[in-house]
Amino acid sequence: MPGHNHKNIYVVIPAFNEKEVIGCVAKQVAELGYSIIVVDDGSEQDVGEVLKDIPALTLVRHQVNLGQGAALQTGIDLALENDADYIVTFDADGQHMATHIPRMLEPLINDQADIALASRFLIKGSHNAPKKRQWLLQAGRLVNYIFTGLYLSDAHNGFRALNRKAASSIRLTENRMAHATEIIAQVKQNKLRYLEIASHVSYTSYSRKKGQSGLQGVKIFFDLVLQKLFK
Amino acid sequence: MNGIQVLLVTGLLLVAIYFFVRLQNSVMDILLLLLMVATGIVFVLFPSITQTIAHKLGVGRGADLIFYLSIIIFWFVILKLYTRLRRVEKILTDIVRKEALDEVRKR
Repeated sequence: MPGHNHKNIYVVIPAFNEKEVIGCVAKQVAELGYSIIVVDDGSEQDVGEVLKDIPALTLVRHQVNLGQGAALQTGIDLALENDADYIVTFDADGQHMATHIPRMLEPLINDQADIALASRFLIKGSHNAPKKRQWLLQAGRLVNYIFTGLYLSDAHNGFRALNRKAASSIRLTENRMAHATEIIAQVKQNKLRYLEIASHVSYTSYSRKKGQSGLQGVKIFFDLVLQKLFK
Repeated sequence: MNGIQVLLVTGLLLVAIYFFVRLQNSVMDILLLLLMVATGIVFVLFPSITQTIAHKLGVGRGADLIFYLSIIIFWFVILKLYTRLRRVEKILTDIVRKEALDEVRKR
């Protein structure tokens, strides 16, 4: 993107006890020249220590652990306040490719979409997810379709890019993991133009350990049902 | 009064006392509680009343009727608590978020 001011592009990274890898992830993003907002969601570890040498990085800290959805919303709020034109959400555990950020932003900058959602299933072989995880994500896809009406290829991918319009119209109230479905529902409600972009997701032993289990899938489902019933 | 009646009446009274002492609730809450405890005690002391009502409603035993009603009340209470929990969580989120952002703005 020649001539575009990268400083107005904010990469929001929610982090909860990710000290082992967050420094490395943030460094990769910083090398591309983007502004970074790390939302420390009440970690017991001192995350600031591994981030202090990274340029253009703001660390926001929740006093208590609220969940990834809440952390994302705090990061988005701060980015909007800092006049961000584009906001990227990125996982702290190193499973996304920082070098794919420009690819996610391209359709937004060309005004083809308001929100770009990364998908590990658009291109065969662009993930090495364990079989069990794949089944879980397929089930998640279906659940998302039932709740939102959008049938996307990847149910829970933390890698997204939003323009200012999308970021200001999305308001996450699901503090925990159900926010991924909530975003899609609000994309539909607000009639945002969306695009899926193929992006590799790498499952390291670290991200596998930190990732979501089948039990959490059930929890997400109940959060969604209860929210639908008692909003 | 037989053994189980003593047990149940004592239990109901303890609940009432606990509620009374620990929670300084509104008049409505206290009235509702008194009504419920009084009904409970009447049913315990005169179980034939529940029997009559049960028969009218097509349920075999009074105890079964109480059991079915308890399940409904149980679900109602759970859902009520759930909505309240969501509300409290939202307040907590707003406070924590505001505090976090204020901290950054100060820098």
